[in-house]
Amino acid sequence: MKRIWTLASKDFLETRRDRLALLFTVVMPLAFTAFFGLMFGGGSDRLPLAISSADHGAPATQLVSALARSGVVKTEMMTKDDAEKAVDDNKVAAALEIPAGFSAALAAGRPAELTLVSTAGSSGAQTVQTEVSALAGPLAAGERAAQAAVAVAGTPPGGDSGASAQDLKDAALLMARPLAAQSLAQPVATVRVVEAGTAAGQIPNGFVLSSPGMLVNFILFSLLTAGIALIQERRNFTLQRLMTTRVRRWELIAGKAVGMFALTFVQQIILIGAGQLLFGVDYLRDPAALLLMMVALSLFASTLGLLLAAVLSSEQAMIATTVIVSMSVAALSGAWFPLEITGPAFQFVGHLLPTAWILDGLRGIIVRGFGVADVLPAFGVALAWSAALFALAVWRFRLSD
Amino acid sequence: MSIVEVQELCKQYDPPKGVLAVDGVSFHIDKGEIFSLLGPNGAGKSTTISMLSCLLRPSGGDALVDGHSVVTDSQAVKEAIGVVPQDIALYPDMSARENLLFWGKMYGLAGAELHARVDEVLELITLVDRQKDRVEKFSGGMKRRVNIGVALLHKPRVLYLDEPTVGIDPQSRRSILDGILALRDQGMTILYTTHYMAEAQELSDRIGIVDHGKMIAVGTNEELVRSVGEEAHVELSVDHYLEGMVERWADVPGVTKAMIDEERAVLLVQDANEVLPRLFEAAAAAGSRITEVNVTEPNLEMVFLHLTGRALRE
Ligand SMILES: Nc1ncnc2c1ncn2[C@@H]1O[C@H](COP(=O)(O)OP(=O)(O)OP(=O)(O)O)[C@@H](O)[C@H]1O
Ligand SMILES: [Mg+2]
Repeated sequence: MKRIWTLASKDFLETRRDRLALLFTVVMPLAFTAFFGLMFGGGSDRLPLAISSADHGAPATQLVSALARSGVVKTEMMTKDDAEKAVDDNKVAAALEIPAGFSAALAAGRPAELTLVSTAGSSGAQTVQTEVSALAGPLAAGERAAQAAVAVAGTPPGGDSGASAQDLKDAALLMARPLAAQSLAQPVATVRVVEAGTAAGQIPNGFVLSSPGMLVNFILFSLLTAGIALIQERRNFTLQRLMTTRVRRWELIAGKAVGMFALTFVQQIILIGAGQLLFGVDYLRDPAALLLMMVALSLFASTLGLLLAAVLSSEQAMIATTVIVSMSVAALSGAWFPLEITGPAFQFVGHLLPTAWILDGLRGIIVRGFGVADVLPAFGVALAWSAALFALAVWRFRLSD
Repeated sequence: MSIVEVQELCKQYDPPKGVLAVDGVSFHIDKGEIFSLLGPNGAGKSTTISMLSCLLRPSGGDALVDGHSVVTDSQAVKEAIGVVPQDIALYPDMSARENLLFWGKMYGLAGAELHARVDEVLELITLVDRQKDRVEKFSGGMKRRVNIGVALLHKPRVLYLDEPTVGIDPQSRRSILDGILALRDQGMTILYTTHYMAEAQELSDRIGIVDHGKMIAVGTNEELVRSVGEEAHVELSVDHYLEGMVERWADVPGVTKAMIDEERAVLLVQDANEVLPRLFEAAAAAGSRITEVNVTEPNLEMVFLHLTGRALRE
């Protein structure tokens, strides 16, 4: 057991000294996270809002155009069903439904109700609600002022009849002012929030997409350094020499696996820390679930790296294979672009890979508040893959070319 | 008493068609002696060492090291041996000290004992003042010394050294050979491989000559030279009349053969000490002046040539 640890920490020490490894494991991923994050619209925080309107009156149209001009939301007109589906699919922060008769109710001074559909506890929906209420407030102001005026006109001011016309006018105004103010202050349109689904949603900004994506991509990429190190050890006879000491074969393989695991795990801590602190990606919403996904990712990456290094015999082969494997696994898993924007075939193929599940898990933690139970399937898939890869690697592990 | 006992060891790479790298080799090594395997490139020296280190499974035969079979009891064999591979099997981006500490742990050393042994070995390989430098910055000779030092950490009973002086300067080679002799004097048993005839001759208590996977002769240096009845080579240059001189020298008693090789005469003689004065006399009688004499006493090189018809080094 101690020897396994010594072997693993030796590998770790060697990689830490490798400048190129630092570039590949930390610097490049952060640069790519920033790049892709900005490309996906990392700077813009306008929340997507689906609007379905069954009313074509002036106030409804007014509200829609006010929201369209808003800096807080980004509107899209849809049918009611589509809007609700968009909420379910987490494509929008909320859906606003303007009911038939909305304008008429306002015109009649009756309370009108807007419905805002969002997923439970969504902080994005909160922002949307505030914005909708703010913009719905001044709707039909003229109408309501007129109502107040009419109310005043229907109540002739008392007092002696010798009062001048000017006095009458002043008195009427005096009465109308509080009435109008009161009428305008009342929320003319109330916003009723309907929560759909159970997961708390928040629509991802660019970094939310790019940070976990680049994490997966570059964790896979760092197989390169570990794999090449192993191939060099086979080349310079150190692996064979290890077998002339007391080390047993299984200890050697276990040491290599633990070393790769530790390496990718530390890399994850750095990248996730940077994601949280630099890019504002909220990984820490459920630390236990996050830990589970990190273990899953490191398990998969280290066993894959071990297998590649076991079957490949030259550095060139290792470089070519790692680049191809890590790039295609990353792309298929949705590390570069979310799988949601792809077709069902692509999504199906992607989800044959544990990394697609892990990415879903990570983004779920960040965006939907996934807990341990929600990421368990992803962990299971990664565990099964890792077990298979490890078995293959042990079987194919060679000490010499 | 022999501590290594090799019996009909065979190794065929990639059977059934692969090279028979080791072909029925048998020998033994006595406790506390230096035994050398001398042979050209590809003779099967490293393959033999690998089998004796339990790295390669023999295709046939067996070997007992410190009483344990390399086939059935590899873990016990590994406890007894230290292996210095032909390649520099070290971690280049770690310092000499870090390498020694790492390998010491692999040999099961720990704590104060580990650090004490590392200090001792650094002293032994005279790298105390460079111990913190990375191995990749070392010269070839220094790397070779660390390579050897690693195998000494756990004080093995038997030390295998596979061509430990390849590609280094004469000074480093000298210090390594002296170190090996010192280890032998402390009672360590050493299996040494080389293709340098002179090294085998100087170091070894006994020598096995290998070629094409076969052990073609075993014995002390003297035994080997005597066994093939080899003769001394005498090379002579004269100021003139070379052809005539060679004819006359061929008739001198004790000379078995006389030839011309370029501008010199090459004679094979039974005993150079006895024959040389007669050669000078013959030259004087013929009015020729000998300008250069070169005597090569029979050596392992000649033994190899005699047994295989080829020079040891092409
Ligand atoms: N892994 C291998 N696979 C196939 N053939 C091999 C392998 N290793 C060595 N050989 C072959 O076995 C024969 C003996 O090789 P070996 O390395 O034992 O020779 P050696 O005496 O150590 O030579 P050198 O002085 O060059 O180190 C050679 O013909 C070599 O090509
Ligand atoms: Mg060799």
